[in-house]
This record gives sequence, structure tokens and C-alpha cells, in this order.
Amino acid sequence: MDEREIIEGCLRGSAASNRAMVEAYGTLVLSVALNVIGNRQDAEDVCQETFLQVFRRLDRYDRERSFKTWLLTIAYRRSLDMLRKKRRFAEFSARARFEPAVVGRPGEGDPAVPAPLPSKLLEALSPRERTALCLWANEGYTAKDISEVLACSASTARVYLFNARRKIKALLENDHGLLQNG
Amino acid sequence: MDFCRTVELLYAAIPLRPFRDWLIRAHMDACPRCQSRLLSREEARTLMVGPGQLGDAGELWQRIGREAARLGASSETGPRGGRLVWRLAPAAALAAVTALAGFWLLRQAAGPGFEARAAAPADRFVIAYVKVDGAPAQTFVYQPQGTDTVLVWAQKTP
Repeated sequence: MDEREIIEGCLRGSAASNRAMVEAYGTLVLSVALNVIGNRQDAEDVCQETFLQVFRRLDRYDRERSFKTWLLTIAYRRSLDMLRKKRRFAEFSARARFEPAVVGRPGEGDPAVPAPLPSKLLEALSPRERTALCLWANEGYTAKDISEVLACSASTARVYLFNARRKIKALLENDHGLLQNG
Repeated sequence: MDFCRTVELLYAAIPLRPFRDWLIRAHMDACPRCQSRLLSREEARTLMVGPGQLGDAGELWQRIGREAARLGASSETGPRGGRLVWRLAPAAALAAVTALAGFWLLRQAAGPGFEARAAAPADRFVIAYVKVDGAPAQTFVYQPQGTDTVLVWAQKTP
């Protein structure tokens, strides 16, 4: 099935087309979510929510635009929602630690502590910068393509990407310098 | 090299995105020295998770398909429009009760003015005849709205 057939099938509610769409784009959405959020379980949740939203709202997709970019726009927004939710939960959890009535079950990991990102270096970037870098590196997106996903101007997307590349390079050089000096 | 340094200083000093974008396009994108201070695409790929590293999407489909089927089944149990009606019913009922109560209260409460019957000066007094300098005069009666004051103005008939 090509992209057009998959979309037509999904619009008719065909489960086979839904499956074909997940098989075609599932790992792409998951990788973007994972690079933005940095936690596999949350990234899978985002991936699921993204596809469920796509199945529900596919009639709103503008055929003039790239389907992949539209899909990644939804994945990016869902990832930001997840990050906000985690931040709120972390704030609540930080307060709740002082209240003896709120205790976690023994053996449970602390959900407020974020799991490590794919690379710890990426923590130095904002979610927008991470997304820009991920799309540029993995998908070969230009600043204009990135701007569609981030819902900003191409100038802004170019600056996000530039800052991301510069920050990580500086961190890598610092690490290398430290290793050499150490 | 000095020019690169100047551009970097300008970039750092002026945090305006259009200006920074212009600097990137005008110089940094084309300058080998500036490019060497940026992460390359290959370096970035080694830091990030790519779609190829995540294996098969079959597992994802099992999870998503199950949830999609569940949501599909739940939407089949009742038409979408019907569910919306039930969701809006409490709000509509509350709005109706508020509107009725407001209407009843406003109807009962006295308004800021006064009753039209009370405003008629004829109910308070009657001027039968007014003379000025022994001659019949023109007379005007005026009562300001909402007060008990009555002004009588009499003047010679021209």
C-alpha cells in the first residue's frame, strides 16, 4: 500500500490501513518522541496517542501538505504535552514528599525522576531545539520543514537548529578537553 | 577569523531571531570555520535514536490497535451525537434554571424608577387658577422624576 491508499483506507476506518500506517510511520513517531522526551515508556504513550488522534482527525489533513510532516507535528505537540504533564507531576511529587500521607508503593521507581535521555548531552537543549536537531539529523529536514512541525517561522527554526548544533558541539569539545586534561 | 569573532559577538549580543537568522544565512552557513564549531549531521545521528534502531513496529501496532479497537467499540455503544447531548444536558439545565430564577427575581424587584401613576402631578394637586399682577398668567407645572418636589412656574401672559 502506498501513502495515498493507506490514508484513504484509514478514512474509511479500515483496520488493515490503520495497521499499515503504524507499520510505516510507527518507529519514526516513536523516535521523535523518544528524542524529545527521553523516556521509552512515555514515548510509546505519545506514539499511541498520536496515532489515535491521527485516526480520529484524518479528515482534517490537508492533502497539499506532506503527510509525514503533519504526523510529526501531532507527535511533537503530544510530546510537549507529555513533558508538561511530567513537569506538573514532578512539582506535585516534590511537595508531596513532605506529606507523610502520600507514600509510594515499595519497590516502585520514582516517577518524578525523569529517565535519562538517549544522550545525556541532549538535556542541555530545550524540547524545541531537540526536535529541530532530531528532524534535521534523522529525517534530513530543512529549516522550513522543521518550522512546519514546530509551528514557527523558518527563521526561528533555523535559529533553534543552529543553537542546538552549537551547544552540543561545545559540550562535546568540553568533554573531550576534560578527558585530555584529566 | 576576526570577522567570525565579530559575527559571533553580534549573535550573542543581539537576541533577535530575525537578526540571528540573517547572520546564520549571511555568514555562518557558508563559513568553514563557523561550520567546524557546529555539530555535523553524522555526529548528531550518533547522539539520537533513529527509527532504524527501534526495531519492528509490530509491537506498537498491537498496543495501538488494541486501544483503537477499544475506543471504536466504546463509540459504537452509543452514537457520538447522543453522548454529546448527555454531556451538555447538565449545563443546559443549569442555564435554564438560572434564566428562570433571574427572570422571576427581576420581575419581583422594584425597578430604579417610580411608578408612572405617582409621577402624574394631577394626582397630587390641582391648580385651578393663577394670576400675576391681577391678570391670568401662563402656568407651568414641573415635577422632576423620582422626587416629590413640584415646581410651579407662572409668568405674565404676553
